[in-house]
Amino acid sequence: MMMGITVPHLHLLLNHIPTVGGAAALLLLLVAFARKSNDLKRIALEATYIVALFTFPSYLSGVGAQQTLLKMPEISQAFVDAHWNAALFTFVLMQLAGSLAWLALWKYRRSSQWPTTTITVVVVLSVLAFAASARTAALGGDIRHPEILAQLAAPGDAATPAEPAAPAAAAPAGEAAPPVVAGTLTGRGLGRSVMDRNWVWPASEALHFIGLWMILGIILIVNLRLLGFMRAVPYSALHRLLPWAALGLLINVVTGMTFVTATPDQYGENISFLWKIIFLMIAGVDLLYITVFEGPWHVESGQNPPLRVKIAGATAIIGWVGVMYFGRMLPFLGNAF
Amino acid sequence: MDEFLTSIQQSGFARFIGESGSKWGYPFVLFMHTLGLGMVAGVSAGIALRVLGFGRGVAMESLDRLFPVMWFGFILSALSGLALLATDPVTKLHQTVFYVKLLFVFLGVANMQLMRNRIFRNASVSSDVLPSNARMLAMTSLFFWIGATTAGRLIAYL
Repeated sequence: MMMGITVPHLHLLLNHIPTVGGAAALLLLLVAFARKSNDLKRIALEATYIVALFTFPSYLSGVGAQQTLLKMPEISQAFVDAHWNAALFTFVLMQLAGSLAWLALWKYRRSSQWPTTTITVVVVLSVLAFAASARTAALGGDIRHPEILAQLAAPGDAATPAEPAAPAAAAPAGEAAPPVVAGTLTGRGLGRSVMDRNWVWPASEALHFIGLWMILGIILIVNLRLLGFMRAVPYSALHRLLPWAALGLLINVVTGMTFVTATPDQYGENISFLWKIIFLMIAGVDLLYITVFEGPWHVESGQNPPLRVKIAGATAIIGWVGVMYFGRMLPFLGNAF
Repeated sequence: MDEFLTSIQQSGFARFIGESGSKWGYPFVLFMHTLGLGMVAGVSAGIALRVLGFGRGVAMESLDRLFPVMWFGFILSALSGLALLATDPVTKLHQTVFYVKLLFVFLGVANMQLMRNRIFRNASVSSDVLPSNARMLAMTSLFFWIGATTAGRLIAYL
């Protein structure tokens, strides 16, 4: 907690990124298509990527808020879980849209031609993600907004309450609904199935470390050039290797989310995890810069990169090493394991 | 033997790393081990991918500059690894998977030097004409580092 800002505060603030930000990026995409503008398409895809990136803190601050909420007797786990499941679903859609947006931008940078299929899939995913995020927001509001609950529970109200509202609304006031046994495709259910199989955690860890060195290795090679080493190589040639770093990142997002979903209490209020996510945001924004922007792209064979490009190269290395450092510190500075 | 190992474990150095609770002890050494792994295995993977045909615009000779980075990573990992081993030598030296990891690391490093001699320091090799076993060496490089990483993680579980 700093300056009176708690994790739940942060969650309420950051929630606007996937909802409002996602809607704005989608709108931009549609306008870009209507106007057939390459510049707008680029901006819209960049916005889609950035919104997906900043959905990490939105989602993960919810994992933190959940720890606080579930300690409060008047909060129903059924409501929290319904919101969590919707959030997880939205998060996955957003990350798929963001990853493909990155891929489209990477291809466009190389060939100046848009991969039409990829972009179409991004649009479809963004529409679905927008619907999913609206539902997530509504279910989140149900957790703690008594005026909404009162309306839902009011007799004679024509609207039928949303399914998760039913059990807790029916419970006597002041009494928490009993914990609901979660199905397989829910946050809690997925978490339990990870913990029930003793090979999943070690296997995910091995993959997480392989993903780690894929990211670090490619990032080092590419950004050492941006710092002015290996000057014979034009940056555009090294740019070809970036999807391998992105693949490592994808592996680590999937395995990392496996850890968080299985043991949310280890991450929700972990200071080291907060720093890890801050560094991930820095590294993620930098990844977009070195993928699409003109500065790095035009570093030709033999050229010493300009200062701003060198700063981007240094930021990439510091950013990813920071992610690694705070990941490694999860049990030591924080409370994991 | 175990007596000797126990004496190492009880040395001031090993106790500082393992038991001091300082973040400059075990946590820092563990991070150095991970950073070193990232440098040696990750940069090796990048080079292997280039040899396999990704990023053909990257001249092979320029990648020779990356070998000091990989060697630095390896030395960092080896030294921090020795320090970590000193905190718990009896258990680790009785684990089969520990030796499996060492074998993979040895093969990975040997593979790395072999690639340097055959591909990057071979006057008859240009970026377009690679020796016939180059692709094979690239694939074994990836395989050995994946093996070393997996075995390394499993030390904590088996």
